[in-house]
Amino acid sequence: MEEIKGAIALIGYGLAAIGPGIGIGIVVGNAIQAMARQPEAANMARTTMFLGIAFTEALALIGFVLFFIA
Amino acid sequence: MDVLILASESCDPATEIICAPENVIELFEFSVPLFSIGPLDFTRTVVLTFLAMFIVIGLLYMGFRKRRVVPTKFGVAMESVVSFVRDDLAKGTIGPDGERYAPYLLSIFMFILVANLFELTPGINFPLTSRMAIPLMLAIFTWLIFVIVGFSKNGLHYLFDIVWPKSVPLALRWLVGLIELVSVFVLRPITLAVRLFANLVAGHLMLTLLLGSGWIFFAAVGDIGARSIIGIPWFLFGLGIFVFEFVVAVLQAYIFTLLSAVYIQTSVQPEH
Repeated sequence: MEEIKGAIALIGYGLAAIGPGIGIGIVVGNAIQAMARQPEAANMARTTMFLGIAFTEALALIGFVLFFIA
Repeated sequence: MDVLILASESCDPATEIICAPENVIELFEFSVPLFSIGPLDFTRTVVLTFLAMFIVIGLLYMGFRKRRVVPTKFGVAMESVVSFVRDDLAKGTIGPDGERYAPYLLSIFMFILVANLFELTPGINFPLTSRMAIPLMLAIFTWLIFVIVGFSKNGLHYLFDIVWPKSVPLALRWLVGLIELVSVFVLRPITLAVRLFANLVAGHLMLTLLLGSGWIFFAAVGDIGARSIIGIPWFLFGLGIFVFEFVVAVLQAYIFTLLSAVYIQTSVQPEH
């Protein structure tokens, strides 16, 4: 059996990216649905979508920062 | 060119083709000052900070130097940036009160935009905001503004509304208050800074790895011969990421400004 080398922090970052990946998918999908149903509210939906993405993405980035701290 | 892409000052490509830094942080640190004025050392980061500042001031000064009946193309472009920040971000988020905060939001938007775009500027290739000090300082400014505005607009009710939210059932109120207290005063500035920092660090690392590995394979053509062709897909992938990083740079400047506006809005009009 081959020896596995590398930092375990990399696995941690990979795990940290799973949840936000699903979350951003849900946020953007629902925002597109909202824009398609009510195109006149598209601007509001877009702003809120970016906010939601930013909040969700922060979780993945915290995992990324742990790579530096660890 | 390789020194600039790798952004590592001790790297000497003439003797050693792959100059991997011992720690990835070395890609972002410039401990050797370029020049000193008295006790102040000017490293590359400090020089770039001043450069970004002068670029922002210069752009706005050139755009609004004279009032014209028919503005120039450049003036129209600057006007659209200013009106985007003032009308869409400041007034759109904070409400009619938002015009007071438009100058602050415009300054951080322009500064972060220029600092992020340094990542893609040939010859600089270093995003200023990938040094934690700069996003942290900007986040602390935002934090100070929304805390001071909250206390001066609502007095101590600002704090009470956070710690003791009346809309929550009594049994859970202390728990929600505790979470809100930590999230408003501690997590908000940290996530604001870390979001910008980590996005730009990740972008800089990806560009360094992809463009740098492409360049390294090309440079090693004497040693590994035809196998250096493997550098071409890496280099092309790096160019694709280059376009993606442009989008990220603009979007992160927008998100930082938008979140600052949202945080100020929660202080101006607390939830009822």
